[in-house]
Amino acid sequence: MAENSKSPKTKKITSINLLQILTVAVLLAYMEYAVSSGKINRIFMAAPTSIVEEAIHIMRDGILWPHLVLTLQEVIVGYALAAAVGISVGLIWTMFPRVEAYSNVFCSAIMAIPKTAILPLLILWFGIGFQSKVVLIFLFSVFQILYSTVTGAKQCKTEYLKVAKVFNATKLQTVFKVMIPAALPSIFNGLRLAAATALTGVVFSEMQSAKAGLGYLLSESQNLLNTPRMFFLILLVTLISVLLVKIIAAVEYLLCHRWRRV
Amino acid sequence: MPTIKIKGLNKYYQDEDGEPVQALKDINLEIQDGEFVCIVGPSGCGKSTLLEIVAGLLAHTSGEILLDDAPVTGTRRDIGVVFQDASLYPWKTIKKNIAFGMNISGIPKREQEERVKKYVSMMNLSGFEDKYPSQLSGGMRQRAGIARALVMNPKVILMDEPFSAVDHLTRCTLQEELIKIRQEEKKTVLFVTHDINEAVYLADRVILLSPRPSSIQEEYVISLPHPRKRSDEDLVQKAAQIVADISRGSKKPEDVEYYI
Repeated sequence: MAENSKSPKTKKITSINLLQILTVAVLLAYMEYAVSSGKINRIFMAAPTSIVEEAIHIMRDGILWPHLVLTLQEVIVGYALAAAVGISVGLIWTMFPRVEAYSNVFCSAIMAIPKTAILPLLILWFGIGFQSKVVLIFLFSVFQILYSTVTGAKQCKTEYLKVAKVFNATKLQTVFKVMIPAALPSIFNGLRLAAATALTGVVFSEMQSAKAGLGYLLSESQNLLNTPRMFFLILLVTLISVLLVKIIAAVEYLLCHRWRRV
Repeated sequence: MPTIKIKGLNKYYQDEDGEPVQALKDINLEIQDGEFVCIVGPSGCGKSTLLEIVAGLLAHTSGEILLDDAPVTGTRRDIGVVFQDASLYPWKTIKKNIAFGMNISGIPKREQEERVKKYVSMMNLSGFEDKYPSQLSGGMRQRAGIARALVMNPKVILMDEPFSAVDHLTRCTLQEELIKIRQEEKKTVLFVTHDINEAVYLADRVILLSPRPSSIQEEYVISLPHPRKRSDEDLVQKAAQIVADISRGSKKPEDVEYYI
């Protein structure tokens, strides 16, 4: 941001921004030219105009919606479960170190498994529908949230805890009035990272085995050699991922912006 | 009548190798009701350890601490503590930080507000009630830290180098305010500092701890009434004497940490 701009909120378009926009425009123009002139085979690359056409087509004809809704449902349910379980277990561990001492090794062991490797087993147990996806998303994100909660609560300054002790705070009061607020920035860090991995998990599992969902639609477009649709779906999934992270960041801002130093 | 009695207090802790190290050795101290006692000593001598034991934050190994003849076994409401760097919660406003103790003990909201109001104006924090600690200067933060302790109306206030993190001028102002408050509120104060001038300016009695394992090396009664002049000859002499005694007590002169 330019130093002489008076309000930090008004962004000035600099010459670098213009150059960046120009770069993208040139790239898009070249894609359009290369595909329509036949320099690059339509199977490998999609012209920007054909991506837009395809987007309008699958939205207007209703092809996209059921898949989009299903994927979003899977992500929201799996992610919400992971957040609830991750934060709760994190706090239980903080309150009862003996519980952590007992169960940490099991959690670490499960966390160490590459999640994609247990997908075949999950399909066997939960089928190829909604449930196996939710479980996979849950596994993809829960550990990140759990460990960032624990780290945040443990990083709570000893002075903060001494103050609580001086005022004879109970264990529950200490956790809710001191440890959780102190851990919030770290918890949100975990939630943000987990949001991105959650989406990776759902798209991957839908591509492997599903009857619906954006991942399914993506791998189906590959089979049908519908390259414009693949491009559109990749853009869409990226957009959802960015939106998820933005939503988490907005909630964090609402909760913490007043006191956090920038 | 003594408010605090410390009898034959010993404190050991384990170092990294698990070896016991003695921090405090046979401390005997009586603090009278309404008395202002400063504890000074070379750095690392266990001043803060002693204070935390009296606060009930730290367990002692042997000996006895009595507050009004009842043993101190843990933290309690009639002992207030002011920490070195104020230790305010950054996510709470100044008002809510001051009210934290009352909030924990379930004092009704209306009473909380009244008491916060009283101490906000006493500590010259008016207009800053709704600010967050990060928006305040170090001196203002420490004012809020003191208000947070006073608002619970404790009998005894323990202060652990409360003014060490603020600049000299602010420190002088805070010292004067503290004397005023202590007279108005009739508190017994135990104040740890490494600033000898601060100790002689504030205290009725200065206790000098020896290097580790620390015991009480010397006591100095300062009977000069308040308001005191910082340049008063008696105070200057007392300070010089304490400094000389510290140097005598430490084997290595570079261990001495003081301002003069």
